[in-house]
Amino acid sequence: MDRALRSRLERRFGERLLSPVVQRHDETEIRVAAADVVDTVRALHDEPDLHFILLADLAGVDTGTHMQVVYHLWSERTADWLRVVADGLDREAPRCPSVTFLWKGAEWMEREAYDMFGIVFEGNRDVRRIYLPAAYTSFPLRKDFHLADDASRSPGMGVRPMEETLPPRDATPATNIRRAQAG
Amino acid sequence: MTTQTHGPHPSLDDPSISVEDVVRESIVDAVPVARTEREAEFYTLRDGELLLNMGPQHPSTHGVLRIVLKLDGERVVDIDPVLGYLHRGVEKLCENADWHQAICYTDPLEYVASLFCEWAPVVAFEKLADVTVPRRAEYIRVLTGELNRISSHALYMGWFALDLGGLTPILWSFIERDEIVEMLAAITGQKLLFNYFRIGGVNGDISHEFMSRLGDWMSRAGAQIEANQGLLNENEILVRRARGMGVLDRETALRMAVTGPNIRASGVPFDIRRAHPYSVYPELEFDVPTRQEGDSLARYLLRGDEIKQSLRIIDQVLHEMPDGPVMATLPRLIRPRPGRAWAAVEGPRGMYGTYAISDGTDQPFRMRIHDPSFVHLQLVSLLTPGNLIADTMAIMASLDPVMGGVDK
Repeated sequence: MDRALRSRLERRFGERLLSPVVQRHDETEIRVAAADVVDTVRALHDEPDLHFILLADLAGVDTGTHMQVVYHLWSERTADWLRVVADGLDREAPRCPSVTFLWKGAEWMEREAYDMFGIVFEGNRDVRRIYLPAAYTSFPLRKDFHLADDASRSPGMGVRPMEETLPPRDATPATNIRRAQAG
Repeated sequence: MTTQTHGPHPSLDDPSISVEDVVRESIVDAVPVARTEREAEFYTLRDGELLLNMGPQHPSTHGVLRIVLKLDGERVVDIDPVLGYLHRGVEKLCENADWHQAICYTDPLEYVASLFCEWAPVVAFEKLADVTVPRRAEYIRVLTGELNRISSHALYMGWFALDLGGLTPILWSFIERDEIVEMLAAITGQKLLFNYFRIGGVNGDISHEFMSRLGDWMSRAGAQIEANQGLLNENEILVRRARGMGVLDRETALRMAVTGPNIRASGVPFDIRRAHPYSVYPELEFDVPTRQEGDSLARYLLRGDEIKQSLRIIDQVLHEMPDGPVMATLPRLIRPRPGRAWAAVEGPRGMYGTYAISDGTDQPFRMRIHDPSFVHLQLVSLLTPGNLIADTMAIMASLDPVMGGVDK
């Protein structure tokens, strides 16, 4: 845990942080609104005392109530991984600004997040499905996408024991969504 | 226009439509309706340009990958990789399995170096559950991990030569890989998907058979690998085709989020074993080799340098490995308290990462898998334009993507 980084982040982004800086093991986490993502990552990348030059990962998350985009960054100025959570994306129409202006390599990771969660990245010039066929209609990593429901439409339904242990296909998806307590 | 390109064309049964009509229409059908800016740009053809599908069953694509080449004569103008032929939805499967089971789903992602695909989630889960791993287990992880790295790099060198048209090196590199795989099979019971790491340690201590095979191999590994490289490193054809090909400069490498040997070949000494140490790597002595050229040849030669460092690490590990248990005491079913964890390890292709969210139950709430091959494959459309079709393979092979990891 890098205490100095914590105070540096609090000083720099004070009013922009949605919740206090969280530190556990070798990770530091900050939360910002989706609208603040561009300014935040630009500051993290450009400012010499932060200098987070490497984007380690970009992931979408569905907490069951809203969507998030999670960035993991690395800098030689600190021993911690920095996690930036763009929080509170509307679950029905999730939109988030793209970071491809800074890390062009995020393009495919954003495409993946779109493919799996339906998150639209504004500014990414190639937001289309990457794994699934273009005609596919749902977003499989969302919490209202049940494996059991999916399997019930396939010939293998009920054969694979893993899927039998999941909610039955007549269960209403809306009441069955797993919501993160910790999101 | 539709994007449907599978199955017989509907008008094939209609005698009033000529074959030429069908062919013309199929060509139009193969070009999808542009949905994004990039797609519109790619599928707009100028005079003299043509689209060519390479794959999904092409011998040089290291798995099942289709790349659409936009060609002007023999020159590549642009490239659009089409992924998903191996997509298995591993992240969703992990969210429906318990914490221990999730590890065997991540295992087959990277079938060439599968220990690293276990390592990243295992470390992330250990952080979530606040488990301390016994020191002997950490040493065994490093030992088997480095062996796996050597076997992967050795195979890479053969592959690379194979994609450039040389047949012998791939057979030679399988000698090294075979030895190591037999060794690992002696402790894991598997030759490809080891499934050896567990939350809190490893599955079983190293055995006598493993040690005798390892000792036997270590005594001649250096010379053997040197001999294998001697076959290639000074090979006129390989050097002339790979030098100056697909140059990736330092700034672009950072912008493209490249990791592993590919970024080190561009002069950035970023190695997670040093940049963000994990396991017992801080106690071990080794260098992080870098090269400045950033071309295919540098990426190839760097792997050779890394093999030497891995041998150095194995040597130290064998001398310093402590006695003790190889597993922490853990209940069969773990329920980490709600929280989030990210862990990354340095694999032979770059950074393998796992972001796991626990909601306090026995299953991961969200499990994100970061695979370096996925990120590196993006480079193909950046580095290839302007080169010949045959050089597409020389560039792609030097980036070393494995499609199992790309497609997840």
